[in-house]
Amino acid sequence: MSKYIPTIGIEVHVELKTKTKIFSSSENGYGQMANSLVNEVDLGYPGTLPTLNEEVINLGIKAATILNCKIRKQMFFDRKNYFYPDNPKNYQITQNRTPIGYDGYVEIEDNGVKKKIYIEEMHIEEDTCKSTHRKDKTLLDFNRAGVPLIEIVTKPCMTSSHEAKLYLEKLKELLFYADVSDCKMEEGSMRADANVSIRKNESDPFGTKAEIKNIGSISNVGLSIEKEIERQTKLYDNGETFKEQTRRFDDKLGDTVLMRVKETGNDYRYFPEPDIPFVIITDEMIENVKKTIPMLPDERREVYKNLGVSDINTTKLVQNRSLSDYFNELLNEKINFQVASNLLLGDISAYLNKNEKLITDTTLSKDRFLELVKLMDDKTLTSKNLKDILDDILESDKSIKDIIKEKGIENITDDKEIREVIKTIIEANPESVNDYKNGHDRAIKFLMGQVMKETKGKVNPGLAMEILTEELK
Amino acid sequence: MKYLEKPIKEINDLLKKGTIKPIDLVEEAFERIESDKDLNAYITLNKEEALEKARELEGKEVDNLLFGIPIAIKDNILTKDLRTTAASHILDNFIPIYDATVVEKIKEKNMIIIGKTNMDEFAMGSSSRTSYFGAPKNPWNNNKISGGSSGGSATTIAARHVPFALGSDTGGSIRQPASYTGIVGMKPTYGRVSRYGVIAFASSLDQLGPMTQNVLNNALLLNVISGHDSHDMTSSHREVEDYTRLIGKDIKGKKIAVPKFLMSDIVDSEIIEKIESVIEMLKENGAVVDYVDMKYLDNAVTLYQIIAMGEASSNLARFDGIRYGLSAKDPKSHEDLYLETRREGFGKEVKRRIMVGSYLLSGDNAKTYYNKALSIRDDMATEFDKVFEKYDYVIGPTTTTTAYNLDDPMDDPSKSFMDDVLVIPVNMAGLPGLNIPVGFDKNHMPIGMHIIGNKFQEAEMYRLGSFIEKELDLDLNPKGGK
Repeated sequence: MSKYIPTIGIEVHVELKTKTKIFSSSENGYGQMANSLVNEVDLGYPGTLPTLNEEVINLGIKAATILNCKIRKQMFFDRKNYFYPDNPKNYQITQNRTPIGYDGYVEIEDNGVKKKIYIEEMHIEEDTCKSTHRKDKTLLDFNRAGVPLIEIVTKPCMTSSHEAKLYLEKLKELLFYADVSDCKMEEGSMRADANVSIRKNESDPFGTKAEIKNIGSISNVGLSIEKEIERQTKLYDNGETFKEQTRRFDDKLGDTVLMRVKETGNDYRYFPEPDIPFVIITDEMIENVKKTIPMLPDERREVYKNLGVSDINTTKLVQNRSLSDYFNELLNEKINFQVASNLLLGDISAYLNKNEKLITDTTLSKDRFLELVKLMDDKTLTSKNLKDILDDILESDKSIKDIIKEKGIENITDDKEIREVIKTIIEANPESVNDYKNGHDRAIKFLMGQVMKETKGKVNPGLAMEILTEELK
Repeated sequence: MKYLEKPIKEINDLLKKGTIKPIDLVEEAFERIESDKDLNAYITLNKEEALEKARELEGKEVDNLLFGIPIAIKDNILTKDLRTTAASHILDNFIPIYDATVVEKIKEKNMIIIGKTNMDEFAMGSSSRTSYFGAPKNPWNNNKISGGSSGGSATTIAARHVPFALGSDTGGSIRQPASYTGIVGMKPTYGRVSRYGVIAFASSLDQLGPMTQNVLNNALLLNVISGHDSHDMTSSHREVEDYTRLIGKDIKGKKIAVPKFLMSDIVDSEIIEKIESVIEMLKENGAVVDYVDMKYLDNAVTLYQIIAMGEASSNLARFDGIRYGLSAKDPKSHEDLYLETRREGFGKEVKRRIMVGSYLLSGDNAKTYYNKALSIRDDMATEFDKVFEKYDYVIGPTTTTTAYNLDDPMDDPSKSFMDDVLVIPVNMAGLPGLNIPVGFDKNHMPIGMHIIGNKFQEAEMYRLGSFIEKELDLDLNPKGGK
């Protein structure tokens, strides 16, 4: 155990899922040809002015709401002035003095213990353009310039890399479910900076901090925090100190690397953006946005559990938003939800993954799915049957019953008929019956095999097993 | 050929009848400009394109009063495919890829853009002498300045080259040169005219406006350029009215305030006397005129400098040699590119204002200076509100002196701001201000009167302006003969 207490704060930038950029009518898109989603505003052309995209304000309100933030009713934008080639106007329009959201929290759960990670503030700003360095040249792609961002800043309230990772996972899940951002760290639509310091006792002031910038994955956030704690611990143990600094995580080294020591008086010359009037957020706007927030992951997990869905299925369902959304359409039905979740997460998921489809791309309407769940639940269909007819179920509009008929699936569902077959088999195999009664469990499997053989697989194995066990008593 | 000096309605009739064609007006304009080349009114002429446009218009219906009429555009207003320099070396090769909203509006009316007028570099100055292309000259006396920053537009209008010009006014840059050259210049209410496509100097103060030889033309051009623009969030949604509708109407019973500060000893006595004589004339015609005390007017210049230079330092940051304009050759690094491009590209006054502005916004200074200036500015606006509760207009002289000599020293940086001491409060309060020529000094240099209106009261201001224009009936042609 380390003898130091780490203090960690996280800053996250997420790109908002809007049609157009924050201050211009250019498309907000990823992966397009360089400089194809650009107009004179994005290029910081002389004479251009920003026009605020209303969608951004609405997504800002949404994010603030789901992060339990208070919402600023009257806000403005500020200019952050600094020269850099990726900054087209050499100032960035951001919110320094009136962030849209403040004093919020995200609740994480660590081994059943809940903890609130406090959000200091969240503000709206524009993204910079993307620079790529080639030998002695720098190439600039302005497609990203002006993409709307929100920056979410926690208080320095986390004490381990594990907590930081849980926070990021939770944040990502929330923003993704609320359709605020697609939160793809690999595409840069979610980026994290971690502020790390350590101290001996909780009563001590915070130690000198290092900021690790632009970490590309949640696991690397965890790794870089651990490495940083290790580095700082070594320094303190050797009686050394260090200056406040900015570092980055080097993937190949698996360690943090110094970028720059914080210069004193880093001065962004903030002042209120004169080209954008005050933005007034009314209660009505907030209410309208709230109506668009879907059921969030925590509530989904709670609801699924209460419907009898297993823990593992609950977790898996919530990990897949399109399946979870599909599942949510069924919540008022009287069905076996465990069976329904098994279906979705089992063969249907396998099909969807193989064919790279979403459930909404298939022909499985709600009514047909309900029919399927009932047929599985009352054991009319076996899982083997399901495998045989799944493609038809997901690709045609026929009713499940018609498909069953077409495929010639006639399961013996009559108890009496099955019992007759089983009795015959017991009579014909006295040794196996004897073995079973002597405690050789394997014998029952042999007998089951005989039953399936006799019925050509048309009995429900579960049902047959039940009757066989009874008959063997 | 003297069509361009005819009243706009006559020109319009001649065009409608087919007696003249737009190309006749364009050719006449270029003849006038070329014979006055030494006035240095233009940075870039648009001759070929203007002639082509005039030919293009020949088949079209003359559907509005400004159809086919030549217009000059200040060179900080972007014109697609036509060089726009803001009188700066840093943009002397800059060909815009889009039109400013006002230029779009002018083109919609089929006005013909003759060229881009000279000005102070990035509109920073009050004599147009900070222009990279040399200062324009005053048509009344070629040794005198025509004022600034819209000096080229003032020169070309005063010299009768064209009937219409656009200027921009951040701290008097339309009204002061209008006063120095004896023309009509309006700075509309902040937000009345879109700023989209105007190279920003101080965003919270900049406003475009018409510069013309008479009040009617001024109002006609304001009709064209006004209105909300979805590209400019600071532009007003207020409906555009017909700004000519009160021209020629009576002023009986109108209440006029004259702030004592504007008639104090900072103003030349000759100018005071002239304004007083106009005030007498207005009283004789039934206007009620009171001298009033107004707070904050004497602070306006200081506050203006803080706000204007602070905003300018940020607005001009984009000129870095990367995407457009001048770009230093073979830079060693991107910092080097910034330093070399900006050192070479910006003139002395612009550099001075960027440095002062950056200082004013640095660290705690932003609180001490910029934020405080913004709050006193609100107080100043409130002070005007109070006056406008009782009065229809606030009037005074536009400038403290008439135009001075081109070779007067430029070594006192605050001089250029003090030239605008009487007009700056209007920008600070976001109000409209109008210069009307009211006479001449002993050297026959024009004197202007400043009419300040309440927000969006431009039509009312044209009422008073046109009344004075009609009553005084001055000969405002520098070459004489009206």
